[in-house]
Amino acid sequence: MRFRADRDAFADAITWTARALPVRPAVPVLAGMRLDITDAAAGTLGLSAFDYEVSTRASVDVQVEEPGSVLVSGRLLSEIVRNLPPYPVEMRTDGSRALLTCGSARFTLLTLPIEDYPTLPSMPDVTGSLPGDVFASAVRQVAPSASRDDTLPMLTGVNLTFSGGTVFLAATDRYRIAVREAWWQPRSPDVDTSALVPARTLFDTARSLTSGGNVDIALSAVDGSGARATRGEGMIGFEYAGRRTTTRLIDSDFITYDSRFPTEFAATAEVPVAPLVEAVKRVALVADRSTPLRLSFGQGEVVLEAGSGDDAQAAEALDVKFEGEPMRIAFSPQYFLDGLGGVESETAFLNFTAPTKPAVITGAPAEEGGRPNYRYLVMPLRVA
Amino acid sequence: MLVVMSVFDDLVGQDTVIEQLRSAARAADGLLAGSGGAGMTHAWLFTGPPGSGRSEAARAFAAALQCPDGGCGHCSSCHQVFSGTHPDLLYVRPSGLSFGVDKTRDLVLRSASRPTGGRFRVVLFEDADRATEAASNALLKAVEEPSPRTIWLLCTPTAEDLLVTIRSRCRLVTLRTPTTRAVVDALVGRDGVAPDLAAEAARASAGHFERARALAGDPAARRRREEVLAIPARLDGLGACVTAAARLYELAEAEAKETTGALDEQEKADMRAAFGEGSTGKGVAKAVRGAAGALKDLDDQQKRRATRIKRDTYDLALMDLVAFYRDVLAIQLGARVELPTADRDADLRGVARSSTPEATLRRIDAIMECRRRIGANVHPQIAMEAMTAALYTG
Repeated sequence: MRFRADRDAFADAITWTARALPVRPAVPVLAGMRLDITDAAAGTLGLSAFDYEVSTRASVDVQVEEPGSVLVSGRLLSEIVRNLPPYPVEMRTDGSRALLTCGSARFTLLTLPIEDYPTLPSMPDVTGSLPGDVFASAVRQVAPSASRDDTLPMLTGVNLTFSGGTVFLAATDRYRIAVREAWWQPRSPDVDTSALVPARTLFDTARSLTSGGNVDIALSAVDGSGARATRGEGMIGFEYAGRRTTTRLIDSDFITYDSRFPTEFAATAEVPVAPLVEAVKRVALVADRSTPLRLSFGQGEVVLEAGSGDDAQAAEALDVKFEGEPMRIAFSPQYFLDGLGGVESETAFLNFTAPTKPAVITGAPAEEGGRPNYRYLVMPLRVA
Repeated sequence: MLVVMSVFDDLVGQDTVIEQLRSAARAADGLLAGSGGAGMTHAWLFTGPPGSGRSEAARAFAAALQCPDGGCGHCSSCHQVFSGTHPDLLYVRPSGLSFGVDKTRDLVLRSASRPTGGRFRVVLFEDADRATEAASNALLKAVEEPSPRTIWLLCTPTAEDLLVTIRSRCRLVTLRTPTTRAVVDALVGRDGVAPDLAAEAARASAGHFERARALAGDPAARRRREEVLAIPARLDGLGACVTAAARLYELAEAEAKETTGALDEQEKADMRAAFGEGSTGKGVAKAVRGAAGALKDLDDQQKRRATRIKRDTYDLALMDLVAFYRDVLAIQLGARVELPTADRDADLRGVARSSTPEATLRRIDAIMECRRRIGANVHPQIAMEAMTAALYTG
C-alpha cells in the first residue's frame, strides 16, 4: 500500500475513527486501526476501528500509488497525526512495517496481524434521516433514563421506533420512562420498525453530531421470527458527514410504554423550568439520592422541602400556575431533575393524578390539543 | 469418504460427536435460511474426561456455526474463531479458580446483543463448572430465556458439574476418551512425531491428547513424568516420604512456572505491540504508555491464571501417580489391560508383590484425598507429605 494524503483531512478522519478504539482491548488486535485502499482508481482510503460493540468508518481522499490493506496500532497512529507538521503525508508499507513521512518527520509503525482482525459488521441500508441536532438533543433527553443496572439488558437501551414520518425514542429504568417524538424523513413512507440501542453507545454517537447536516439512520428490516438472516441485521448504522458508525442492538423486546402514561390528570402545574431546577438543586443539597424531595402545590405556589427530623433541612417556595386540588407529592431529586432537564421550552407542565401514582412532566405542547413531543413519567416516593 | 479440510479435523477420535455437530450445523444453516432448523438448539453442554477435547469440540462447533460453508477451516470467519477474535463469538476462559457473578452478569448482557455477521451470537464458556453458585443462577436466566440468535456452548467434565436446571436446558454432547490408536495417528499424522515416540506418549497419557502432545514434544515433560513415577519405589521410610513430597512439589512448581512464563511474556508483547511498541518516531512513547491500563488488566488476569495453572500442574503429577497405582492394581488382580505406566515395569511388579490390592486402593484414595486438600487451599507441599506418608504405610 502506498498513498499521499492531505494532512488535515487525514488527521481528522483518523482522530474521528479512533473513537471506537477500546481503551482496554479484550484481544490485542482490537487496538488496531485498519487502513484499506481497495480500488486504485477511486482514490479513497478507508479507515476503520471496532471494539465488538461499536464500529467507526471514515474515508478520506488520497492520491493512490498502490492499493492494499494494513492494520497498525490505532492509538499510536492517532497520537502521531495529532503532532504532524503542516505538510502532505505519505504512507507506504514495507514488509511488516508501515512508513509514514510528513515533511521532515518520519515514523515507522509495526503492522499487526490483519488476518486476525474481526470482520466489520456490514452497514444496513439507509432507512431515513433527520437533522443531526434534533437527533442529538432527543438522545440527550431520553438516554439518562436508561438503567445502568445490567441484570435486565432491555432496560439499558434506548428504544427507537420508526413509524411513518415519526421517530420515537424511549428509555426506562423501571421507575421512570422518558419518551421523545420527532419528525423524520423515511425512505419509504410506510416504514414501521424499531431498534433497541445500548444507551451508552447511542449517547456517545449523538455527542459527535455537532453542527448542521442530516444524520442518516440505517436499520435492516427484520422479519417477525427474527431468525432469517439479512444484511447488516442486528445493527443500527448512523451516517453523518460521510462518517459511519454501527452499533450492536440489544436482542430483546422493549416494553409497551404508551399505556403506562395516564391520560387524565387531577391537577396540573405550569412551572418556569430554569428557576425550578435551580431551586430543586439548592433544596436537594441536604438530600442524598434516596431521600425524597417533597413538593406541596397550592394556589399559585409550590413549596419544596427536603430533610426531616434530626437531619439537615431545606425549604424554598416558588411561584407557579397551579390548577386542581392541592397536592403533596415526593420524588427522588435526581429523577425529578432528569425529567426537568429534558424539557426544552422555558415552561414545563407537571401533571398529577394522585400522590401515590406516577406524575408526568412535559414540555409545552406543540399546539393546542397536540401531544407534547417530550414526556417524562416518574414514580413518586412514598413519604410518611 | 472424501477428505475435505474442516474445522472438525482437529478432534481426535470423536467420530460420533463430529457427526452430531455437523448435522446440527447444517440444521442451523437451515434455520438462517428460514426453514424449521430441526436438530439445532440454543444451548449445548460439552462433557467428557480431561483431554478428550471438550473446548476444542465446542470451538470447532462455534466455527462451523459462524462459517457460511459449515466450517471449511480456511475462510476468514473460521480463522477468527480459532484466533479468538471473531466479532460474534464470546470466548470465556475462566482464568482463575472460580468465575464470579459479576462477570457472569456482564456476559449475560453481552450475549443478549444481536450478531453482527448475520449468523449467530455464540458464547463459548470453557470450564463452566468453575462458575460459582450465584454465577450459575445468573447464567440460568440467560439459558432459560435465550435471545433468538444466541447460542450457548458450555463445557464441563461431567454433566453433574452444572446446576440440574441448566443441564436440563442443554443438549448434551458427550466426548469419549480417544483410543491410544487415534492419539498415535493424530500425533504422527498431524504433528509429525516419530511413530515410536508417539506410541509411547499416547500410552503414557491414557487418552489425554494435549498431554500426549506435550510428552511427545517436550523432553523435559517426559523427564518430569519419569521422576514422578519413580517416587513409589523409593518410599522406604518417613525421611524418604518428606524428600519425595518436596521433590514432587518442586517439579510441579517448575513446570507451572515454565508454562506461565512463556504464555505471559508472549501475551504482554502482543499487547504492547498493539499499542505501538517497536515503532519509531515522535509519539510512540506516549502511545505505548496508553497500554498501561490494558497491561494491568492482563497482568491481573495472568496472576489468576498462574494460580490455576499451578493447581492443574499438581493435578497432572498426582494423576500420574494414580495411573501408577492403577497399573499396580491391574497386575495384582491379573487384569489384561493396557498399562499406561508400563515403562516402569520393574517398579510396578515390585510394589505389586510387596502389597495387597486393598492397600493399593487405600493408596489411590490417599492421592485423591491429597487432590481434595489442595483444592481446599491446604499448602500443596504439606498435603503431599501427608500423601507420601500414606503411600508408604499403605
